[in-house]
Amino acid sequence: MTTNRVPVIQNLFAETAQGPRLLGSQCAACGAPYFPKSPVCHNPDCREPQIEEAAFGPRGTLWSFAVQYYAPPAPVKYDEPFVPFAIGVVDLPEGLRVLGRLRVDDLRKIKIGMAVELVIDRLCRGADGSEVTTWKFRPV
Amino acid sequence: MRDVAVIGLGVHPWGKFDGKSVTQLCREAIVAALSDAGVQWREIQAIAAASSRFSGGKGWGLNGNDVIEDMGPTGAPVYNLSAGCAAGGNAFNVGYSLVAGGLYDIVLVVGGEKMPKGFIQMSGVEEESDPEYVRQVCVGMPGPAFWGMLCMRRMADYGTTEEQLAKIAVKAHHAGQHNPNARFRQRFTVEEVLKSRVVSWPLRLYEICPVSDGAAAVVLCSADIARRRTTKPVWVASSTVATAAFNDGIPRGLATVVPPGRTEHSEATTAVKKAFEQAGIGPRDVSLIELQDNTVYYELAFPEEWGFCQPGEAEMLVERGDTVPTGRLPINPSGGFLCFGEATTAMGVWQVCELAWQLRGEAGARQVPNAKVGLGQTLGLGSNATAVILKR
Repeated sequence: MTTNRVPVIQNLFAETAQGPRLLGSQCAACGAPYFPKSPVCHNPDCREPQIEEAAFGPRGTLWSFAVQYYAPPAPVKYDEPFVPFAIGVVDLPEGLRVLGRLRVDDLRKIKIGMAVELVIDRLCRGADGSEVTTWKFRPV
Repeated sequence: MRDVAVIGLGVHPWGKFDGKSVTQLCREAIVAALSDAGVQWREIQAIAAASSRFSGGKGWGLNGNDVIEDMGPTGAPVYNLSAGCAAGGNAFNVGYSLVAGGLYDIVLVVGGEKMPKGFIQMSGVEEESDPEYVRQVCVGMPGPAFWGMLCMRRMADYGTTEEQLAKIAVKAHHAGQHNPNARFRQRFTVEEVLKSRVVSWPLRLYEICPVSDGAAAVVLCSADIARRRTTKPVWVASSTVATAAFNDGIPRGLATVVPPGRTEHSEATTAVKKAFEQAGIGPRDVSLIELQDNTVYYELAFPEEWGFCQPGEAEMLVERGDTVPTGRLPINPSGGFLCFGEATTAMGVWQVCELAWQLRGEAGARQVPNAKVGLGQTLGLGSNATAVILKR
């Protein structure tokens, strides 16, 4: 039996033919990347903004992280019983610094500066028994 | 611009006060500030109030209107200022600007808060159009994890140790034990801090600030009135407000732009540097700092982002004891947010009271010797920041 996989929020990430990607936008004029998509460019110095759709990932570098040791309040999602999880901040070569949970076997092996890649992974079990997914980063 | 003096200071102690409304907390702070200034309620020409979304304010953040109804309607104008945790500093800036600009001669600034239990929660909006909701649902990064992430980066960059982080908490409580308005006055050892449970690695329970109830009020006036009313005026050298730069690298939402230079809290840096510029002074002239230490990390990051030391040197300030009340650069001799707990919108007004008591030489056992110039700073949701420089 296969479990139905449902993204926690639609249109933020996708499994493409090239692998998992974050769905955002980027200004062709100044290069500023946006995730989630922004219909406008927020760079105050960008004179002639030209926003285009962009897919970010999969490779990046871990800029920093924290490990959540207490069960956070709603609307943060997790499976019961609560297990500590790591939250990373990852710099992508497209110039995007983005948050994402880290999928690691051992929390002690997370190192700032390590190469990571995007993965679409389980966030928690949904009310209907489906598997709710989100994007995460894992060590390469 | 006219010179502006702080002539009245009033604080309701920080704690949990289940039997009191936020307006009652504010009333006690206001009555104390008016009494300290020798000013009657009737003489207050305008009120700048920090606007809370947690308590009072008729659900609309109209906390200044609650105050004026409670103290007695006089027809005075009320400004309700919303800026997250920077709201108290924002209200102070508006009160200052009203007097400096010559619109009013005597103005009251007030901030009060009754906080819900636990760590500060999200807005409660559960819509996919709300960026904060999307961030929490998809990733989940409560405040302490955000601070932990910033702190972790610092540890990687400069080799900051867990002991150094703990020492900042120890220092805070060593100073705060003497403050009658502080909520958490027990002393800790480094070992006790390190044994407190990890909340969001690398930060422990005693290294982050909880939430509290509290209120603070100050009376501001023109120089003419200050000379007639008091022999101990404290002068506002400058008061500033700022928001963040586009590419400062702090991931306040789900993502941001990788910055061209170092990552920094640009809203706070801009506010503090503008405050220095407008006051015509620099870091060397500062006798003490009251900064927003939601976590011990900020006591390392802020001083160097503001030019008090070189990047990576802040740990040495702690190790050398420079930041204790009798040190070379006292930071948070009040005990800071760690000893008070954050009554969000009241903090910016409370900082002004703490700085002014120091400049008057009335800070008791936490007194900074010969304090002449004090710097206060707040940081709030939405990339708000404020700074204030007071002088004798």
